[in-house]
Amino acid sequence: MNHSKPLVGVGIAVVAALALTGCSGSGTGADDANSTDAAKLESLSIMAPFLSTNAPEEDNEIEAAVEDVIGVDLDMTWVPNASYGDKVNITLAGDDLPQVMVIQGKDPGFVRNAEAGAFWDLTDYLDDYENLKTTFPEVQRASSVNGKVYGVFRARDVMREAVIIRKDWLENVGLELPETTEDLYEIAKAFTEDDPDGNGTDDTYGLIIPKWPGTIGTNSPWDAIETWYGAGTRWTERDGELVPNFTTDEWFEAVQFERQLVEEGVVNPDYATFDSAKWNEPFLTGKGGIIIDVHSRVGQLISLVKQSDPDNFENYVDVTGNLTGPDGELYALPTSGYSGFLAIPKAQVRTEAELRGVLEVLNELNSAEAGPILNNGIEDVTYTLDGDLAVAVDDVPQALKDTVGAYAQLGTNVNGFQGYLPKQPSEYEQEMYDKRKEIETADLESAQFDPAAPYVSPTYVSKGAQLDTIVADARIQYIAGQIDLDGLEDAVELWRSSGGDDIIAEINELADADS
Amino acid sequence: MAMLDTAVTATETLTVEKQSRRRRGVRVHFTQFKWLYLLLVPGIVYFLLFRYWPMYGAIIAFKDYVPFLGIADSPWVGFAHFEDFFASPDFPRLLGNTIILALLSLLIAFPLTIIVALLLNEMRLTILKRTTQTLIYVPHFLSWTVVASLTYLLFALDIGPLLQLINGILGTDINFLADPAWFRPIIVLQDIWKNTGWGTIIFLAALAGVDQAQYEAAIIDGAGRFQRVWHITIPSIMPTIIVMLVLQMGQILNTGFEQIYLMTNSLNRSVADVFDTYVYFMGITQGSYSYSTAVGLFKAVVGVVLIFGANWVAKRFNQVGIF
Repeated sequence: MNHSKPLVGVGIAVVAALALTGCSGSGTGADDANSTDAAKLESLSIMAPFLSTNAPEEDNEIEAAVEDVIGVDLDMTWVPNASYGDKVNITLAGDDLPQVMVIQGKDPGFVRNAEAGAFWDLTDYLDDYENLKTTFPEVQRASSVNGKVYGVFRARDVMREAVIIRKDWLENVGLELPETTEDLYEIAKAFTEDDPDGNGTDDTYGLIIPKWPGTIGTNSPWDAIETWYGAGTRWTERDGELVPNFTTDEWFEAVQFERQLVEEGVVNPDYATFDSAKWNEPFLTGKGGIIIDVHSRVGQLISLVKQSDPDNFENYVDVTGNLTGPDGELYALPTSGYSGFLAIPKAQVRTEAELRGVLEVLNELNSAEAGPILNNGIEDVTYTLDGDLAVAVDDVPQALKDTVGAYAQLGTNVNGFQGYLPKQPSEYEQEMYDKRKEIETADLESAQFDPAAPYVSPTYVSKGAQLDTIVADARIQYIAGQIDLDGLEDAVELWRSSGGDDIIAEINELADADS
Repeated sequence: MAMLDTAVTATETLTVEKQSRRRRGVRVHFTQFKWLYLLLVPGIVYFLLFRYWPMYGAIIAFKDYVPFLGIADSPWVGFAHFEDFFASPDFPRLLGNTIILALLSLLIAFPLTIIVALLLNEMRLTILKRTTQTLIYVPHFLSWTVVASLTYLLFALDIGPLLQLINGILGTDINFLADPAWFRPIIVLQDIWKNTGWGTIIFLAALAGVDQAQYEAAIIDGAGRFQRVWHITIPSIMPTIIVMLVLQMGQILNTGFEQIYLMTNSLNRSVADVFDTYVYFMGITQGSYSYSTAVGLFKAVVGVVLIFGANWVAKRFNQVGIF
């Protein structure tokens, strides 16, 4: 009952000390020398996805090299990319959180947790760190939740969309690389009907389209065509109001074009079930001739062709950028400019001092010293330098290559790419690589950025995913001929009445408040 | 009268005995059977730990659960999530799809299991019977992932042999994997292929217990093969059938997640969405833990109601039930 004041003071000190030490396998302690009061970490736990078959082994040489630079032990949890989103949601519901988590996007689960305070709001912190202060503020904003930055975004090329075409087929049917969607149609038709491989049988089609990603606005081939038609990317402005692209006339024109492609048999018939992991196969085996996807697939395809036909591999793959729509304008489909972000859960990092400690490590991770290790690997082991370009070392074991790929997931590059661009193995490949870079630069001028990217509407958080499925499924059903245009319009109407109109209102409110 | 008296006395004696046994006390009872009770302990611990303790988590269906706040600190919202669910346009579709799939399995797969068991039972050559039985229950051990992959291979456009065969014979152009009309038949067929053989085991066990003397008597009376099955075999295994049926009723909303999830795509989703896939979609991929828990809880409650209902009906008509 009768606590004396000094005792209370001691109690608070003890609690504070416990809070500082108790929560950390990271071994924190105050660092007086630092003016920003950052706790000095000894280790940092990070959860990240990996894209190869096997996760990096523990204590691998890449990790050791990174640790050398950043001066902190990394405690990595690798999760397969395919199930990463699920794992994030499950981890957040559990109590064994890492100090840093790769979050792949602003999905409802993340937003809900962030708004409840599960992650540190880094908006006012990032500028204090040399390597975390971004030179792409608009991308950082796009990655925010209504202006609150909950993570250090992972920068990606803004322009990646490309049309990849069988070069030999194009020559056989006597056509040029497409410039418009109309050209695309003609080529696809010729690839289907004019026996482009010259084997005398009707066994080819034009476009190869996989089932992934099925939802709206995920840069699928369908999305690309819709953007080219002028429907915008995900959201667009009409009469001063922000609206989802699927409410525009241009979008409806585009899906009619898509349906025509399918009806005329120029798309692989199993587009609704075809696994995206096999996307390259029909292209390589001579079943289909056009892929609409990121242009990095060009590099993949060329190296695969090279393995099977090392003498003539230059003759198979060609690439061009975004296509002009029916109104003669070029509307290029950009990426969001980031691929998720590194977020810091409060459950593990409880105090501001600890937060500063974590940010310091992330700052080091994005330094000119650590960047090349994450992006290229170890010099003279996985690559050698030729001027400013990294030359891949030939006999690097696959496991080590995969490990480099995995650690690249930690690269944020928020102030430019921290690493060396790859030197291509042959002149032709270098030529194609440069061509891709030129396409990027050219298309950037016509990019249709998503004006609603930074805004997160509460209704969208609670039921946006189900709503999106309504339109996405209707789109495929319409393309497949299961429903007619009225049915598709009904689906958009259902989207509106089940909460879509609220989402539009909320997004516009947020946008107005912002401007 | 005399006989009745004896009976009454016998009952009285029994009652007296029972009471005296009870009087001897619980302690004696436990001492006497302590080893048996010890055997019970792991089971009890298991159920408390892995079946009852997790039920604590179900209260998030009535809360606005945010992982950061934890279960205890998340705010209560009462039945809001249930109301949302029943009001959502998803509800009738999910309920319809789930019930149709469940009824198909109840009306087709379940009787088929019994029929196959009866047919197996009628096989005279033991070696043939054993071989057939083994062959048809092997698919049970394949995972749904394997079954789904096989289906995809058999029905893939352009290369699927079964697809080509059927379309060739019928002169049609059906895409079985994407056509919503074929979703349910495929699900039921997969279910039959995978589980029928396994399901026969319990009925074969029941059939083995049928009194052979009855058959002999029936043969002497001139009963034919079909008559023997109809008048002896089926009535004898009826209690087993009823028990299995009642248990099935409780599973009616459990369409199973894996199979449906693996066979779903954008073109057949309208008929494929069921409670189980919805719970996964909302809970794991969307992070709406409370909402999806509410959906799961609703499903469980319906299951319990159906079990009790079916059991009550079974007892009414047949005097057998499971409890």
